[in-house]
Amino acid sequence: MKTIAEISITPNRTILNGDTISTANIAGLYREFVGDYPKFFKMDSLCKLGFIGSELLLKGINAEEKENAAIILFNRNGSLITDRNYQKTITDDNYFPSPALFVYTLANIVTGEIAIRNKIYGESSFYVLNNQDMDLMNDIINNTYLTSSPTFILTGWVDFDDEHNYEAKLKLVTK
Amino acid sequence: MDNLILQLKNQIIEVLNLEDMTPEDIDAEAPLFGDGLGLDSIDALELIVLLEREYGIKLSNPAEGKQIFKSIASIADYVSKNRKK
Repeated sequence: MKTIAEISITPNRTILNGDTISTANIAGLYREFVGDYPKFFKMDSLCKLGFIGSELLLKGINAEEKENAAIILFNRNGSLITDRNYQKTITDDNYFPSPALFVYTLANIVTGEIAIRNKIYGESSFYVLNNQDMDLMNDIINNTYLTSSPTFILTGWVDFDDEHNYEAKLKLVTK
Repeated sequence: MDNLILQLKNQIIEVLNLEDMTPEDIDAEAPLFGDGLGLDSIDALELIVLLEREYGIKLSNPAEGKQIFKSIASIADYVSKNRKK
């Protein structure tokens, strides 16, 4: 497996291919490097984190290459923060559930947001693991090549606990 | 009516997370879906919830929605005639 590009995003630092490119938070990264996708603001925190990571990683990759790419992501908390936020909207007796929150109460929505933005039509999957089990993650990535031939795979860890505790460690890999 | 339009603009900016947008950025007559603000089907559901929560309006006939949610001005017109609170 060959790594084409990699990124690490934490609350204090964003490192792209070994270089620190920003110390901004997720919204700051959007304003600094993206800025042209208002739907970003409607996303939940997990999607925003994965989206920003994918935007920075996929810069310079042409549409044809992206079309048959795969997206395989992992984390520990699933969509728990949004699940909790949504639960708050349905706890009162006279409650008004939020459709905009409800649609993000699945962790794999982040793979869909990335696919929609980039017109990626290959396989996408999201796994919730106990920890960053690199052996298991690599097995899953390698197994993808047994059943399909993606041009590359956008893969890695994208986990959002709260605004002070989040991490994306994403990379683009080929066979 | 102007006050209601301004109130609706602020409420819509808040519930739809239209960050970086101010009431002045929204043309009350502009289409909300497709062109204009470019809202989607989930936003439409959020607007239905907004009308019920803030104005006590329950939309029982989905066919009405297309006309009501045409623009901020059309929502304001409907709210002013049908609000329960």
